[in-house]
Amino acid sequence: MVLLGAPCWLRSRLTDRFWRVQEVLKYARHFRGRKNRCYKLAIRSVRRAFVKSTKARREKKRFLRALWITRIEAASLEHGLKYPAFISNLLKSQVELNRKMIADLAIYEPKTFKSLAALAQRRRQEGFLAALGDGKEPEGIFSRIVRHY
Amino acid sequence: VAKTSLTSPPWPEVKLPDPVEEAKYHAEVVQKVNKMIAEGQYGRLFAVVHFASKQWKITSEDLIMMDNVLEAECGDRIRMEKVLLVGADDFTLIGRPLLGKDLVRVEATVIEKTESWPKINMRFWKRHNYQRKKIIVNPQTVLRINTIEIFPCLS
Repeated sequence: MVLLGAPCWLRSRLTDRFWRVQEVLKYARHFRGRKNRCYKLAIRSVRRAFVKSTKARREKKRFLRALWITRIEAASLEHGLKYPAFISNLLKSQVELNRKMIADLAIYEPKTFKSLAALAQRRRQEGFLAALGDGKEPEGIFSRIVRHY
Repeated sequence: VAKTSLTSPPWPEVKLPDPVEEAKYHAEVVQKVNKMIAEGQYGRLFAVVHFASKQWKITSEDLIMMDNVLEAECGDRIRMEKVLLVGADDFTLIGRPLLGKDLVRVEATVIEKTESWPKINMRFWKRHNYQRKKIIVNPQTVLRINTIEIFPCLS
């Protein structure tokens, strides 16, 4: 006679509950309070910690960029230029350093940063001169002050 | 014509130096720098290199780790071609945007190809019984920058 299916008195019992619990608690060991020991409190904290770390990975990029911009602004103000002027003139002179590099150069290579600031200043002045043009009045306009009676 | 608020531009008037004298001064500076490079009067060189879609500030004998796979075996020498800036103590060569390949040479060796630590990506909406957990392991490559050389071919 072939018996199909397990008999009723056979039950399956969970034998590795300890290790399943440890898998979660290992991420909570450095937390404060009971959530580093008690599983029920720990899964909640560990879940939140994972979600926060995923979101933070996206925001770290924004945060670091803002930090670099602040540093570049501070360094360029030391050389007498404002940040928008500095960056726009560097880009117009076809220097494609990104903000991370310029911030690192401003910290570790002050002479190089000074030369970059001088380059940006010179390009700015050339831009002003180019904007002024010839200095002559355009033809159709006779004077800027019109008196009418 | 009477003076209004728009007769003169809001920026202070600037005069650029004489172009002829400037050209002479530039040529002098370029010659000096060329001479310094030819005689080897520089100490440690640093370079800004564009590699793996990132910019790195490197010197000789330093390690770089990138978060992707490089199609080169361990121990292969690599020449990095997109150099944006090279500098020493007394002079810097700024590329617009890149420096020439006959001017700078940056050599690196592939040391290690590993995987990153397992990063956990988790999404959770409360009260909706929704959670997804994904473990991301990125391949990483470690390079050692061997040398940065410059050649005196400025003009």
